[in-house]
Amino acid sequence: MNKAEHLSPHGKHLLGRRSFLSNNATALSSIALTSLLGSDNALASGKPDIDPKNPFAPRKSHHQPKAKNVVVIYCAGAVSQLETWDYKPELINQDGKPLTGGPAVTFQGPAGNLARPQYQFRERGQTGKWVSDMIPHLAELTDDFAFVHSLTSESNTHGPAENFLSTGFAQDGFPSIGAWLSYSLGSENADLPAFVSLLDPRGIPQASVNNWGSGFLPAEFQGTSFNSKNPIRHLVPPATISKTSDQAASSFLQRMNARHLEKNPQDGSLAARIASYELAARMQLSVPEISDLSTEPDHILKLYGADDESNPTKAGFAKNCILARRLLEKGVRFVQLFNGAYASGGRLNWDGHSKLKEQYDVHSEILDQPAAALIKDLRQRGLLEDTLVVWCTEFGRMPMFQKGSQGRDHNPDGFTCWMTGAGVKPGVSHGRTDDLGRKAIEDIHPLYDFNATILHLLGIDHERLTFFHNGIERRLTNVEGHVIKEILT
Amino acid sequence: MKPEIPIVSIIMRRISIIYFLIPLNQLEAAPVDFVNDVRPVFEAHCYDCHGADKQKSGLRLDVKSAAFAGGDNHGPDIVPGKASESPLIQFLTTDIKDEMMPPKGARLSPEEIDILTRWVNEGAHWPDGVDLVELEDTSDHWSFKPVTVQPGDHSIDSFIDAKLKEQELSRSPEADRRTWLRRVTFDLIGLPATPEEMSSFQKDTSTNAYAKVVDRLLASPRYGERWAQHWLDVVRYADTHGFEVNTERAYAWPYRDYVITAFNNNTRWDQFIREQIAGDAYGKPEATGFLVTAAALLPGQIGKDEESKRLARQDELGEIVINTGEAFLGLSIGCARCHNHKFDPISARDYYSMQAFFAGVRYGDRKIENPEVEAIVAGLRKNLKPLESELGDYVIQAGSDVPRASLSAKANIEKFQPIKASGIRFAINASISDNLREPFIDELEVFNSDGINIALNATVTAKGSKKESINDGVYGNISCWRSDAKGAGSVQLTFATPETIHQINWGRDRTGQYSDRLATDYLIEAEIAPGKWQEISDSSNRAPFDPERAREDLYQLTDLHPEHHARAKELITERAPFIKELQQYSGGKQIVFAAQSTSPEPIYLLNRGDPEQPQDEVEPASLSFLKHVQLPKDAADIDRRKELANWIVDPENPLTARVIVNRIWQWHFGTGLVATANDFGNLGVEPSHPQLLDWLAAKFIESGWSVKDLHRQIVLSATYRQGHTIHDAGLAKDADSRLLWRFPSRRIESEVIRDSIMAVSGQLDLKMYGRGYSMFNSRGGTGGFQPIESHQKPEGRRRMIYAYKVRMEQEAVFGAFDCPDAGQSAPTRGQSTTPIQALNLFNSQFTIDLAGDFAKRIKTETSDDIGAQVEQLWAIALGREITPDEAIEATAFVDAEGLSALCRVIFNSSEFLFLP
Repeated sequence: MNKAEHLSPHGKHLLGRRSFLSNNATALSSIALTSLLGSDNALASGKPDIDPKNPFAPRKSHHQPKAKNVVVIYCAGAVSQLETWDYKPELINQDGKPLTGGPAVTFQGPAGNLARPQYQFRERGQTGKWVSDMIPHLAELTDDFAFVHSLTSESNTHGPAENFLSTGFAQDGFPSIGAWLSYSLGSENADLPAFVSLLDPRGIPQASVNNWGSGFLPAEFQGTSFNSKNPIRHLVPPATISKTSDQAASSFLQRMNARHLEKNPQDGSLAARIASYELAARMQLSVPEISDLSTEPDHILKLYGADDESNPTKAGFAKNCILARRLLEKGVRFVQLFNGAYASGGRLNWDGHSKLKEQYDVHSEILDQPAAALIKDLRQRGLLEDTLVVWCTEFGRMPMFQKGSQGRDHNPDGFTCWMTGAGVKPGVSHGRTDDLGRKAIEDIHPLYDFNATILHLLGIDHERLTFFHNGIERRLTNVEGHVIKEILT
Repeated sequence: MKPEIPIVSIIMRRISIIYFLIPLNQLEAAPVDFVNDVRPVFEAHCYDCHGADKQKSGLRLDVKSAAFAGGDNHGPDIVPGKASESPLIQFLTTDIKDEMMPPKGARLSPEEIDILTRWVNEGAHWPDGVDLVELEDTSDHWSFKPVTVQPGDHSIDSFIDAKLKEQELSRSPEADRRTWLRRVTFDLIGLPATPEEMSSFQKDTSTNAYAKVVDRLLASPRYGERWAQHWLDVVRYADTHGFEVNTERAYAWPYRDYVITAFNNNTRWDQFIREQIAGDAYGKPEATGFLVTAAALLPGQIGKDEESKRLARQDELGEIVINTGEAFLGLSIGCARCHNHKFDPISARDYYSMQAFFAGVRYGDRKIENPEVEAIVAGLRKNLKPLESELGDYVIQAGSDVPRASLSAKANIEKFQPIKASGIRFAINASISDNLREPFIDELEVFNSDGINIALNATVTAKGSKKESINDGVYGNISCWRSDAKGAGSVQLTFATPETIHQINWGRDRTGQYSDRLATDYLIEAEIAPGKWQEISDSSNRAPFDPERAREDLYQLTDLHPEHHARAKELITERAPFIKELQQYSGGKQIVFAAQSTSPEPIYLLNRGDPEQPQDEVEPASLSFLKHVQLPKDAADIDRRKELANWIVDPENPLTARVIVNRIWQWHFGTGLVATANDFGNLGVEPSHPQLLDWLAAKFIESGWSVKDLHRQIVLSATYRQGHTIHDAGLAKDADSRLLWRFPSRRIESEVIRDSIMAVSGQLDLKMYGRGYSMFNSRGGTGGFQPIESHQKPEGRRRMIYAYKVRMEQEAVFGAFDCPDAGQSAPTRGQSTTPIQALNLFNSQFTIDLAGDFAKRIKTETSDDIGAQVEQLWAIALGREITPDEAIEATAFVDAEGLSALCRVIFNSSEFLFLP
């Protein structure tokens, strides 16, 4: 068959640069179509060549990666940049004054007056960067971080904005960054999922599964969510099934499926099913083993705060942090570590509308020591050499308090996230908001750029990692995105 | 000679502006030549990003028409005669870092800038015919051309065979009867063929044995349930609103039922399209649920600032355009929201003109007439009447010495001495939460001595809004009277004729969803003579408001005299099932989440899709590259939508029939003739069999857009009836069988797996239609979605199409089998194979439960003989006889582990899960 025959003129035109795999094709037929089009095109494209029998096999990146794995500390609810990393002395001067030219109405309603940062700031480390006392443990590590102070989001609403942070689109239904990464790179570990989402002990984040969903990518690349408290669902059968009976059933099934494959030789999807039950069986051993923190020594539990009996939520988050480290040690590609749960008037996450200081006192204690310990622990084990650590939140908060409240409203126009670890230049503060922290004014970066930078560090060109869906070659970064080179080594 | 330009290190842009002010005739320069002077500058600096390969920001400078059309962000980049107003020149001369062009590398020399500036000022003369490349005509594309059928005798098989022959391939031998029956049954009704159906078909020697099977399957109500799911995937149907709160969209299901019915009735496809776009004009308002299937932000989730509101509205309208374009036309019209489509001839103006067809559509619940529902409700009411009449006798009277229980936001009874009245008035003096908000009353019902609610025919006098909703017989927050005063308000009802009344029922939200805005201090009076009012009830003997009671229904024991509690308990138990059924009908009329028709708002072309940058107002108009239809700006909402539907279903529209016959083909064979079912544009894949596609499309229109006729043609074709065995020759040339040298066998979908497990276990509940059942114990919000692990209730054993479709959230066991998340349109199901699927299907409580049920069924139908049991197991689950080897192994296994263990294995076997 003429390999280009089935292609549109544009398809033909694009042949040289992109392969043209249909979104709906099975993994098997993708390969078949690849051969139909000539395998050289697949190599020239940025798309992964996925073996249906082993979809999680490690795959080559586009360029030499700086980082092999990522852990994203994801603070749901929108952490105020003004109480953490973006020091605004002018806001102290103007405390209580109205913001001239500012919006009369913001997301939740009428705007009040400017309000000073609710925590004391001080200079930290060699760089002398001003960071708040809200997060003393993380502040100690300031010299290692590369801050981007000038991020912007497409949405000022939590759900769509979390979608935007995780998938590059405010709408529901697009693949998350972890799914893109495991689709592209596969996994270094044959016994564990490539992409794990560790949920906050308080609950699920606002955009829920969208943060780790596979959207229209093949379902195998979605994140597997569990945490130190809740294991993977259905990992083992109900207690009514004895272990020996379970094993007998399992081997009977594999024999039956093998026989069916013999009758239908060369059917890759049947072979893939057999392989999937084998991986499931390996996960039955590897997941409980990795989730069992009883082997962690006391000094490690203490370092993370996992032994803090006075604050079970902090201890729970700390255990998730330890679990994150253990997963990274085993080569899990992408670990999402949630801090903060769903909308709850700021009670369970960082959405400080009404009593910001009071609520942030609670949330920061949960976040600070465990997250800082994770970074220190990764470093002392040499894992930071090839692990990227990302701290992010969906947007920032307004420099004013809301009218009649002691909290700040949503602000997608200028907020801070940071990275550290593999490939990241330490001690950089990139981009700037205005003197009151209302809007990004220098080196403005939509979150697309932040995501493009993460992909870049993992060796992926965000413009080449595409998937054809409903008429478009979709990307994590839509049609936008520039790598923020200023924060890279 | 070139003019002198002052070159100093001050801002270039300013220099340019000063320079432009010098009249051209004073410069005495020779005119700039495009080919010799201008193009070389473009080539040197611009074509890397704005040429044939890349068009950053949509700008292309190597083709005349494209260059003058400009980029996405700022309209024309070249304004002939006005360099100072041309973004092209501004970008080259600016000192603003983010705007400078080129962004990297050397800037243009002053001489080069001078060439371009003068060229623009001289009128930007770009001769025709000098371009080195031609812009592709994106409207010159196969799917935009008329459907054409070659003369001659054709059949599906003749087209398929011709293509196979070109590749020196041939169709596989016909599959045996068993294989075809199992395949076609899964395919058409989504369930496995039963052993009885197997044997009767095997025995049927008549020449039309196959056709009879197909007729039987197409006539089964199970057919609509199966095929509606395909369509619901495309339109991303869900029973929740999506986004962060993902709350229930309680009345989405009438649209789901509409789709099931339409497939079962074989509604003409053109009519099906008409109804989904403008069903309110065709007596099918529920069909317009199509327009609002997308995820939507609820009012409380949208920012209070005007910008947020405008953006949310644009997103709503955008989703309608996307859905319409993808579902019916196979076009990604939505791509033109921010800029002209990159690959198809759809301009941003086209996009907004299409949007204007929907400018009057709002998302929301609407009441619909439904005689069937009204009859059901009347029946239920009739059953309730004697029970409630007796219960009513036990209700503690207003003003009596016996204290009454606290108010419920859901429903309260005021019982008083019968009194003849020409009307009543209900005055509110306070509401909950310290009069924080304006009180609402949902349905004020006044009963006469025959137990008839005479409020329904009363005249309402009230301040505030939606006063007509207080006595319209419709329950729920969307249909209640809203006072305009905080903690106060008054409503008066005047009856058609004076009557003796004895009871009033009222609440704040009779569906029990809302418990704010409840009146707590009130006085009810009856008009006993003109202008003469007598008190009949008030809140004085009510206990203080107790939030615990906020959602309690009528006739709680606490409302009744204690001495009658024993009898009342019996009545309450008897009443409960009727009430439960009644709840889904919201007081008599059906509600559906569908298009609300309002007066269309003006629609503007938006620069870069930004609602803050409106440009010209646009009229409703069809895509300009197809037959053009345009309506005036003042056209009414329904006329707009009818006109659009007419344009889509016009047999001359080259896309509509092709798109649907392709979808039907794809749902039978796994891959469409066009592999990109939602994209027939330039980026889509060209058809594998273009002539077959056109022939099917033409026949489809000829048949009266009959989907069932198309099914018959396909499943009775030799192509569909062939075997699925893989061989080397086929694998080498056409591995995924796009040319159909074998039937492409594949895993059945998540719904089919669940339904089939239920069916073979004898557990499938075939109740059709109505409100769905939940797969979750809690419905989002603070608790998240906690799955129900064990579906013991019959309703949890209904077909999966009747399960609440929760957007984004996967069902705990079957969601992992590529169930779409209803975020974006899913024209095809994925075919992934994952360890999570294996864990779910092997270890879930569901599987274990159903394996037990299946084993029980087999034991009932056979005997204690294990040999007979495994034989029956194979027959029911796999539709075939067990082989001797299998029988030996299976018998030994059952002997050791029991029959349910084997049923668990069978549910996980590839043979059970694959369309053969």
